[in-house]
Amino acid sequence: MYIRATGNISAQKTFGHPPFLAETAEYTGNRLSCIEPDYKTFIDVKLIRRMSRIIRMGVAAAMECLQEADVKIPDAIVTGTAYGCLEDTGLFLTKMVEFNEELLTPTAFIQSTHNTIGAQIGLMLQCNNYNNAFVHRGFSFESALLDGMLLLKEKEAATVLVGAIDEITNISHTILSRMGFYKQGAVSSLQLFKKNPVAIGSKGTIAGEGAAFFLLANEPSSTDYAKLDGLKTFYKPQGVKEIEEHILSFLDAHSITFNDIDLVITGKNGDAKSDEIFDRLQQTLFTKNNTINYKHLCGEYPTATAFALWMAANIIKSGAVPAALEYSGSKENTIKRVLIYNHYQNLHHSLLLISAC
Amino acid sequence: MSDLKTQIIAQLNLQDVKPEDIADDQPLFVEGLGLDSIDALELIVLLQQQYKIKLSNAEEGPKVFRSVRTMAEYITAHQSRNV
Repeated sequence: MYIRATGNISAQKTFGHPPFLAETAEYTGNRLSCIEPDYKTFIDVKLIRRMSRIIRMGVAAAMECLQEADVKIPDAIVTGTAYGCLEDTGLFLTKMVEFNEELLTPTAFIQSTHNTIGAQIGLMLQCNNYNNAFVHRGFSFESALLDGMLLLKEKEAATVLVGAIDEITNISHTILSRMGFYKQGAVSSLQLFKKNPVAIGSKGTIAGEGAAFFLLANEPSSTDYAKLDGLKTFYKPQGVKEIEEHILSFLDAHSITFNDIDLVITGKNGDAKSDEIFDRLQQTLFTKNNTINYKHLCGEYPTATAFALWMAANIIKSGAVPAALEYSGSKENTIKRVLIYNHYQNLHHSLLLISAC
Repeated sequence: MSDLKTQIIAQLNLQDVKPEDIADDQPLFVEGLGLDSIDALELIVLLQQQYKIKLSNAEEGPKVFRSVRTMAEYITAHQSRNV
């Protein structure tokens, strides 16, 4: 199946298809926020007033994706989100407390559900086709992607809009900070991997958020980004050995070896405990592969693999790795096949295989 | 009525609308400000939160929420009744 179009709102300048990561935004602190466009060109002003930030981000990214694909109505809309519409959830719960569970405003309640963005896209398009939302923590995007791939493979759909949306709010950032998820003090996002986090025992990561959509199609077109060859998820492996076995069996299932992979995108996030796994794999499996990281650009969040997939698709389409990704491989080598390996809190592990059309 | 207009704008998050943009007798729904059924619920909540007035009869809704003036008249009548 083919990635025909993308739409991405992230902590980098990615919306509106500017030159691929030509400029990078640097953040100081442990929180990366999305660079948002002027939504009025994409969404009716009357609708915008009811939408929280994450809904606007999701809807705008989806609309940009559909516009690029020149698809008016997709055969299916599938979204993945771990946190859902947190801002409205927080607002609704706060009002419940403030007004003693009475006089609750309907808008925040209506817009706080996890399927709000998928539903809003369907309403705006007047699209009554298949519409599903996956809320599977660190597998939310992967589950949405798998659903989309199955719909295409079983010929239930010819075009599927798949996306991932997650936001960080003041409340969630405070809670997750108190749980020790994020680094303390001033941290430069672009310096996240300058000193090996494992070697210096760096604790915590940087918070991120994003909305990325993909138009997947059964049939190729002249403007496709890349082919999506495979996806695998595995939960809570016992150790690196089990992870290695999963990776090897994934490659085996696609009849390829590490020699056939031009680039590995890893989900390192700057936390020593998390990155230790990637470092071990670089010593055992990815010994000869060029590897790059991405979470210094988008931050860590449960659906960050959507940003990685967007990046892989753009690398394959443009044939170049931007400087911001600190690519150590030879520039003469054309990148035709990319493996993405990510894990979220060493619980949710995923593998994605993407190749040139 | 100016205060009421400000409260309506805030409650409904009417972006780019200023109190002076809303005429006293301008219809709030459909052809006027273009409000809809969810906004009607928000206005009911506004009456309760700001003025402690509970709209007991749902059939009164269209009459009460016809314009800012009808809302203001309803508030004045019911506040004095509450006093």
